[in-house]
Amino acid sequence: MNNSAKRSSLFTANGYRSLIMLGIALLLGGALAVPFYYETQTLWYKVGPDKILLRAGQLAGMLTLVLLMLQIIVAQRVSFIENLFGSAHLMRWHRINGVLVACTALIHVVLVLAPEGMNNLPIGKKYLPEMIGELLFLMILITVVSSHCRSLLRLDYATWRMVHRPLGYFALVLVFIHVFFVSESFTHILPRSLLIVIFAGLALFTGVIQRTRLGRSHWK
Amino acid sequence: MKKLYFFGISFLLFVVIGQNAYAAAREWELDQAHSNIYFSVGHIYSKIQGHFNEFSAKVSFDPANLKESHFFVKIKVDSIDTGISKRDKHLLSADFFESGKHPLITFESKTITDAGKGVYEVAGRLNIKGKEYDLTLPLTFAGVKDHPAVPGKQVAGFNGTITVDRIVLNVGDEKFYKMGLVGKDVEVLVTFEALAVK
Repeated sequence: MNNSAKRSSLFTANGYRSLIMLGIALLLGGALAVPFYYETQTLWYKVGPDKILLRAGQLAGMLTLVLLMLQIIVAQRVSFIENLFGSAHLMRWHRINGVLVACTALIHVVLVLAPEGMNNLPIGKKYLPEMIGELLFLMILITVVSSHCRSLLRLDYATWRMVHRPLGYFALVLVFIHVFFVSESFTHILPRSLLIVIFAGLALFTGVIQRTRLGRSHWK
Repeated sequence: MKKLYFFGISFLLFVVIGQNAYAAAREWELDQAHSNIYFSVGHIYSKIQGHFNEFSAKVSFDPANLKESHFFVKIKVDSIDTGISKRDKHLLSADFFESGKHPLITFESKTITDAGKGVYEVAGRLNIKGKEYDLTLPLTFAGVKDHPAVPGKQVAGFNGTITVDRIVLNVGDEKFYKMGLVGKDVEVLVTFEALAVK
């Protein structure tokens, strides 16, 4: 391989890395713009500190959504992405990102509930989308705690993995339902369509990867 | 012996007359499915309507015995329903009802007076957000008749409307009113049917 070919292949890897990072930045930027550009009616009726808290809570929610989606992508361990970033780096990021998801989810829950009062929690069938969010938060906490305290909880790897994976995919389904039905921002056609397209794409991507992996292990 | 008869008859008369003098008004059981407490409040230009899904009432009413007639209504604040769950949650917050601290609204009648044409002025104490207020509800007594669907029972009907100032009742401060968002006058419609054995 000559020098120009080496430079070209390095540039390609860097280029892909940059493209992926740009994609993540765009996704994050777009997600964080939603609560401002498609302001919810709930925000109209909040003034002063309550408005700031609710807006911050919505931003934390959008951040959780994006981080959770990235978490699922990283968990697929696609060889193309692993070659670009290194599997050890990705695994470390997956672990850190899990904690970040739990933290942003906690901030979201506290800041969104605080303006309405902590003794006025959305509980009951009337608040089903909110309650799905509460279930999701609990699942995220269980997933993160069980992953970081596996030895403390005396969970063997096989059992932990058997629970960890389905919890992750179930969280993805729940976050879609929660965002789709709870947020007034996503009643607007553009964010609603984008949410559907992104989740359908993610489900398809995950499905294809899992199917391919199952096929390979069966062949072996 | 004559004295004994006299005392016996006197005692019976005393009991019968006494009972009539202090006879409780007829008691009625609220028909929950056909009773409602509706409200309507202005929002900029439109009217927003809602109701309370859970409430109970003790009704003792006899037009011929208003002195012994009595109404006691208890409303569960968190059963408020305006058709939009997020709005309901906001109404339950400290901005309006603060239901976590004050889960009930009660109204207990003190006096009932006949205002004529089937209208009865039900004056009593309204307890809302932990404070009591005098309130007089003009209640139209629709009448009593045999229940068309329940043999052996009679049905009575009551309807009343009243406009209350939510700011006076401390259901929210002037914030949203001054912003021109939510009105201060709330129209309340109380409509209920009650059943009693014939």
